[in-house]
Amino acid sequence: MPDIGVEIPARTVVTAEHMLFDAPREQRYLIGNEAVAEAVKRANVDFVVVYPITPQSEVSHLCGDLWARGLIRDYYRGEDELHVMVSAMGAATGGVRVFTATSGPGTMRAMEAISCWPGYRLPLVCAFMGRGVGTPANIQPDSVEIAYLLETGMIIFHVENPQDFFDMTIAAYAIAEQPEVHVPVAVFADGFFVTHSREVVELPPESEVLARYDPAVAPVPAMDMETVPVRMARDCLVIKSNFISYNANASWQQEVWAAQHRARKHINRLMGGSVEVLHPDAEILLVASGSAAAQARVAMQEARRQGLDVGFVKIKVIRPFPEREVVEACKKAKHILIPEFNMNGWLAREVKSRVDNNSRIFAGPRVFAGMTMPPELILDEMHKLVGART
Amino acid sequence: MDVIKPAPGFEDILPLEYQELVADGPYGRSLGVKDLGTFKELIEDHPLCAGCNLTLSFRLLLASLPKPEDTLIVTTAGCFGVIHPQIALHASIAPFGTQNAFASGLTRAMRIRFPEKQKDVITIGGDGSFADIGMAPTTHSWFRGEKFASFMLDNECYANTGGQASGMTPEGVVLNMAPKGKSFDKIPFVEIAKLAGCAYVATASPTKPRQVESMVRRAILVAREVGPTFVRLACVCATNYKLTPIEAHRKSKELVSQTDEYMTEAAREYLESLEGAA
Amino acid sequence: MNFEASTDLRERANIRMSGLGGQGLVTAATLLGMAAVSEGRFSTVVPFFGAEKRLAPTESYVRIASERIHECGEVTYPDVIVVFHADVIVEDKCFTMPFYSGFRKGGWLVINSETPVVSDRDLARLEALEAHIVYVPAAQIARDVAGTELASNMAILGALAGATGVATLAGLEAALAQRFGAEKFIASGTTAVLDDVLRRKYSRTKELIDKNMASIRTAFDMTKSPER
Repeated sequence: MPDIGVEIPARTVVTAEHMLFDAPREQRYLIGNEAVAEAVKRANVDFVVVYPITPQSEVSHLCGDLWARGLIRDYYRGEDELHVMVSAMGAATGGVRVFTATSGPGTMRAMEAISCWPGYRLPLVCAFMGRGVGTPANIQPDSVEIAYLLETGMIIFHVENPQDFFDMTIAAYAIAEQPEVHVPVAVFADGFFVTHSREVVELPPESEVLARYDPAVAPVPAMDMETVPVRMARDCLVIKSNFISYNANASWQQEVWAAQHRARKHINRLMGGSVEVLHPDAEILLVASGSAAAQARVAMQEARRQGLDVGFVKIKVIRPFPEREVVEACKKAKHILIPEFNMNGWLAREVKSRVDNNSRIFAGPRVFAGMTMPPELILDEMHKLVGART
Repeated sequence: MDVIKPAPGFEDILPLEYQELVADGPYGRSLGVKDLGTFKELIEDHPLCAGCNLTLSFRLLLASLPKPEDTLIVTTAGCFGVIHPQIALHASIAPFGTQNAFASGLTRAMRIRFPEKQKDVITIGGDGSFADIGMAPTTHSWFRGEKFASFMLDNECYANTGGQASGMTPEGVVLNMAPKGKSFDKIPFVEIAKLAGCAYVATASPTKPRQVESMVRRAILVAREVGPTFVRLACVCATNYKLTPIEAHRKSKELVSQTDEYMTEAAREYLESLEGAA
Repeated sequence: MNFEASTDLRERANIRMSGLGGQGLVTAATLLGMAAVSEGRFSTVVPFFGAEKRLAPTESYVRIASERIHECGEVTYPDVIVVFHADVIVEDKCFTMPFYSGFRKGGWLVINSETPVVSDRDLARLEALEAHIVYVPAAQIARDVAGTELASNMAILGALAGATGVATLAGLEAALAQRFGAEKFIASGTTAVLDDVLRRKYSRTKELIDKNMASIRTAFDMTKSPER
């Protein structure tokens, strides 16, 4: 711990439930990046390793400051995202609580490591701050990154605003570290629209922190030579060419996805469910996630003011996908619009593959590559759709 | 050490293999290469080629660990990957070439969790995983001064994928993907290790077991207190260089004709303080 | 859909600020948001910039409301447009094009310039939109009052508040104290570096705040409409 003459405040250990639901909250005027750093501060994180990339850099700086103040135990700027994510993996395998963050091209570079996290059964939390990937180069907001993360085995939350970014990051640690879950959580925030949007965020006291991570609860022992060293690596089952090996590998993969499903009850407990539904009996339903949900929410309010019968479903949790809740919420709607901040419409595909009669679904509007989707655009599409179909 | 021992009453239901490790393994016993054949080794029965010098290096390396009961091994893809799951220590396979990035995080985690206890983290990789695909994370772990030892099993090619030329293949050698002969000479990785801040750098040949032992121990001891360390184990691939086991052994011996050991002043002082006392 | 400008900008205001990188418009936008929050209203601020550093087109969007704001991203239908540099409209150095697209009827246009710069064609359009146009010689005010052109953004902010009533002087003063006086403020990119330059220019934080406030106040008084 560096001696920089800063007094480190004594902190009280509280439960995630207390922090999320009972603790008094103070209003602060913060950008999304600061909100997630405030969550890291209260999550009693041991180790942060990061590499700078727009629009994620601010949280990387802030975690460095937290380390300098003794509020996290170790920190460094790595050499690139792949090796940052491997280092995070090494530390989490060693049984400490880890935070990292990246964005767009960084996610793509780190994908080999990220795809290994769930199989290692690591409860680390990574903030993804979505921006465009590929060519043409683009630093602006885009949620296409989630499409690449969908089948990694990670739990994925999609935040609507900086307040969500704080609350869902705290919940992420509590959920990821459940013994029957113990897989990583991706907390995804749309770049700039959330990461750089400044608004009032309500925070519990800085003097309260989660209890330290206890690796003894992990379903796979920490790598520390404090448990029995059997002749079998914790993460390397299918190196031998025989049926038992392949079978072990197959069931290991199934177990990762089963662990995701076991997270549902904790998601319900700590996040009030995987979806937020307003006016479920409405004729027209807007289904969205992330900052597209914010725009859809405003479009719904305005549409209702204009006399349209419109409801709203915000999908907070993308993995495990809240299939039952979405099917239930979509039961009565005649028209379903799915506004998204990406070109390909991955959320529409997720919904379409689950609900009945998906000709009801209009997979749009979609705006991408940094462009803005004003609520007026969603409203306009709603009017067109209702006009054309009724 | 207590971790190794089964709770009373459970001894006989454990696999024979494990019972033998408890009764006769190297944990907490300061054994070395001279004792090979007299104790239950951390690694036995490998599935690699006959005459494999890399496997011999691996065996000698494990027999030389100063404190096996607190040693954590990070490896990566390579022929040794098939030996890896049989090591009777906590070991993990990092994505190819990323072993030193993994060990950077792991070492820091050990320091956070066990500030009073020495945990020896070591990385083991091939020439490709250190000098080609893993050049950046390896050298950056050294620039950062990460305190763990790195061991390169230099068989001068990619053997696991079918005998391709690597950066550590000598110039002119014809291997897969170098059909006209490798176009440049061996990457001067030992020199790079010195420039990148390693406190101890050595090259050993598995044909000299006592030398391997000395260098492995020194690398691990220096990494505890002084800084990063690196040992290259020269073990040319018998199969892909089309050598008989005897020829491969001879070649590995020729590759390290003289003692090649470098250490910083701080490392020398530290080793003298330890070895003088011993 | 309602494309009339908000009649009470303290109840609801969508503000688009357009300028060039380095002019401090992200800082001005943040101060405006902070002022609204300090007065008990809601506000969100979204900066929009590319990978370029100085002199590239930059925008910031401020939403102010008496109730919680959910909408994010760019302000597409502004009640107020603030032009930080004449080049934004003269040379079309702007992110949003055509520049007045989405401008609501009866809105406010605040321009940093000592002389009129709106083209005749645009003037006709603005007249049709019944826009209120306000000019502020911000660089001159900043030089005269604060002793540095770096305070131009403060003068623009003062003029914006004075002309539209979207923030009070007390609110802006509270915002300044919070932005430059309180604990570490998280600024993005080169803004943090410029902050340090500014701090070095003034030996004490209080002087920094006072000089900035003086720029704000001068411009505020200059543009304040008599009925307020």
